[in-house]
Amino acid sequence: MSAPDSDHKGPILTAHRAGLVGCHRCGRVWPLEQHRCTRCGAHLVPPDRRGLQKVWAWWFAGLICYVPANLFPMMRTETFAGLAGNTESTILGGVMELIHHGSYDIALIVFVASVIVPIGKFLAIAWLATVAGQPATVDQAHSRLKVYEVVEFIGRWSMIDVFVVAILSALVQLGFVASIHPGPAAVSFALSVAFTMLSAQSFDARLIWRGLPLRRATD
Amino acid sequence: MTDKPQPPKPASPVRKTAARAAQAGVNVIWIVPIVALIVTLAIAWNSFRDRGTLIDIEFADATGITPGDTTLRFREIVVGQVEGVRFTDDLSSVVVSIRVDKDVAPYIDDESSFWIVRPQVSAQGVTRLDTVLTGAFIEGYWDAEITETATRFAGLERPPLIRSDQKGTWVKLMMDDADGLSEGAPILFRGVEVGRLENIRLSEDSERVRVDAFIRAPHDARLTSASVFWDTSGFSLSLGSQGLAFNVNSLSSVLQGGVAFDTLISGGQPVEPGHSFELLPDEDTARSQLFVSDDSERLRIAMLIDDSVEGLSKGADVQYQGLRVGSVTDIAVRLGQDDQGAERVQQLITLTIAPRRLGLPEDATADDALELLSREVAAGVRGRIASSGFLGTSLIVELVPVPDAPQAVIDVDADPVPLIPSVAGDLDDFTNSAQGLVTRIGDLPIEEVMNSARDMMDSITAIAASEETRAIPGALRKAVEDGSVALEDVAQITSRLREADSGQSIATLIEDATAAVNAVTEAAADMPEMVEQIDVAAAAVEEFGFAEISAQAEGIMADLRAMLGSEDAEQLPRNLSDTLAAATGLMNDLRDGGAATSLNDALRSASVAADEIAKSVEALPALIRSLQATAGRADTLFASYGERSAFNNELITTLRELRRATAAFGSVARLIERNPRAFILGR
Repeated sequence: MSAPDSDHKGPILTAHRAGLVGCHRCGRVWPLEQHRCTRCGAHLVPPDRRGLQKVWAWWFAGLICYVPANLFPMMRTETFAGLAGNTESTILGGVMELIHHGSYDIALIVFVASVIVPIGKFLAIAWLATVAGQPATVDQAHSRLKVYEVVEFIGRWSMIDVFVVAILSALVQLGFVASIHPGPAAVSFALSVAFTMLSAQSFDARLIWRGLPLRRATD
Repeated sequence: MTDKPQPPKPASPVRKTAARAAQAGVNVIWIVPIVALIVTLAIAWNSFRDRGTLIDIEFADATGITPGDTTLRFREIVVGQVEGVRFTDDLSSVVVSIRVDKDVAPYIDDESSFWIVRPQVSAQGVTRLDTVLTGAFIEGYWDAEITETATRFAGLERPPLIRSDQKGTWVKLMMDDADGLSEGAPILFRGVEVGRLENIRLSEDSERVRVDAFIRAPHDARLTSASVFWDTSGFSLSLGSQGLAFNVNSLSSVLQGGVAFDTLISGGQPVEPGHSFELLPDEDTARSQLFVSDDSERLRIAMLIDDSVEGLSKGADVQYQGLRVGSVTDIAVRLGQDDQGAERVQQLITLTIAPRRLGLPEDATADDALELLSREVAAGVRGRIASSGFLGTSLIVELVPVPDAPQAVIDVDADPVPLIPSVAGDLDDFTNSAQGLVTRIGDLPIEEVMNSARDMMDSITAIAASEETRAIPGALRKAVEDGSVALEDVAQITSRLREADSGQSIATLIEDATAAVNAVTEAAADMPEMVEQIDVAAAAVEEFGFAEISAQAEGIMADLRAMLGSEDAEQLPRNLSDTLAAATGLMNDLRDGGAATSLNDALRSASVAADEIAKSVEALPALIRSLQATAGRADTLFASYGERSAFNNELITTLRELRRATAAFGSVARLIERNPRAFILGR
């Protein structure tokens, strides 16, 4: 949706308001007629709230995958070829076990990395997608951008759990004595993280600025 | 920015279509969450569907069971997992909830059995050691038929010994007590283990013990209704007329007991499962109890007796013409009336008789047997109690013809079973004679005999050891020495007499002297004989040294010595020497004087002297005679104790007898020591 042209006198001018379209990859602005960024070759898409559907779609996919990631066991530990018992631990179960064993620091790391961060990401993305394009002050817009940047930055580190499982199941294959296999939750968790990252990437940050008032309210 | 004059241009129609296309493209992205949702839901549905059925099993305790860890196994394959453990409402047991795999759940029905597998140490060995490492697990067993499923079960306390899929036959064994038998005890057929015992329990009325016995196929084909079972538990020690028998079966039998069976006679029917057998106490009983498995009808008959039935027990034989035809099945007391109508207590002994054993055909009935017995009773057969066995301690019932028995018939109408007339058993006689035997053995004066024998030995030892006995040879030697001294004296006298042979005029004197000397020599010649006799006597004494003999011998010796040392004996040489001295003086006078007158005087005096010598020499034979008489006395005495004397013979015989008796006692003692049974049985 484009703002009415007659309102075009606010102090804050965005590319969109200037009748231009910015390349979301390299930032070069082009006239609206331009379809392809000649600098980086990216497709030029004007900011549109309808693009948020993509965010929501990935977001839901991530959320759906996050449920089995918590219900299914993350990894299966076999000691003595299963004679001494198999240990299957879910994420929260593992955290509880770590707390029982007194490893509070590790429990905290696992809890933060596997529970707080993903959930925080979901909340953050959902919030961003909700408020994007809605009227906002400049400060609000700035804080939204900060949130977005944090989510973007953290996204690539959210795979810690999956990394741990992958490394352990690759390393701990001692045959009869002990072996570790990834559980179904590992896949789900990886998918969830991937979907969340895609969701975050699908978010058009330019929409943050769409909601800015055309002129400074206080001015 | 205000310095940008151109207002933004409205989107071109081209861009609008592009936006629409983008809008349409955006919708495509929703496929992703939808797919994710579908996949997730499918997984969830799958895992929910595969969850299997939850079953509850009740156990007394949940040793080693960990929820989420303990598995349920069927033929050692994991088919389920324990999900939870909780108590029953009354806290009396625990309920283990197990999630059973979907594909096996339908097979689990009412007849399924579950038990906890733990390491087990039993008489059969150590089993399931692997569970030490893996932890206990629950094992289940069910058949392959899909029937109505059940979800609540009572767990077994221990693994069943026989799985229900094993082919074989279950039969029941009945016994009076289950001493030595334990669950899982083996069933042997000719020493081969063919099955196991299980489920030892009391019968409803608590009077018998029942055991389920499982005989595996194909060995169960050897089981017929004519089979007999007997207990092989532990070891058996039996003392019989053939000696001591000690039987030990396998170690396993010693530890947990065991049962053996055999089919000793043919003709039995194949058994149905649940057929009940009687467990007999040992193999001998089983083999002698052939008729137990005789299917034909039994005749039950009773007899009343007044005697004590101590020693008669249930199961005692009933013999007819020396053959076993039945057994005593009951012994009861009944108040009866004697001929005078007075009440008295009688023993009612119920017998069970197999008609076939009476020589009747195979299909004979009890009535046939009763008829036969009736005829026999009319012919004088009566029931009576007799003793059997080695010492007659066990009693049997005999049906024997009793001559001159009063007429009697079987009381067919007696309640509850027909009564066969009985006579008093020959029990008392035997008891008496046995008692008499024992009494006689007890009365044997063994101790007195032993005492006298010992006393006799003591006396003999005392005699042999006494100082006096030992002194005898010494005294004899002394006597002989004395004798030789006396003879030397005599020899001296003679030599002196010979020296006096110088004067020819004294021929007469010499002659006289010679005569005297001859007499003395004669006497001396007698001396060796005497000494010989003394020797013999001494030998005799040495052979038998007894106190009296020695005392007497000593007396004799004393006499002898006294005689030798007597005045006469001593006087004799002195007289002789005096005489010779006088003769010498005479010779000297003659030589000095040489007068004829004086010669006559001298000769006269010499002749007087010679006379005196002769006189004294005459006394010598008397002395010798008395000596001889003494020696003769001693001889007689010794002879009386001599080798062939009656006393000696008797003594020797006595001693020999005594020695034989002692030896006999010794051998008897050894025999008894070696074989105490011989004391009673003879060799």
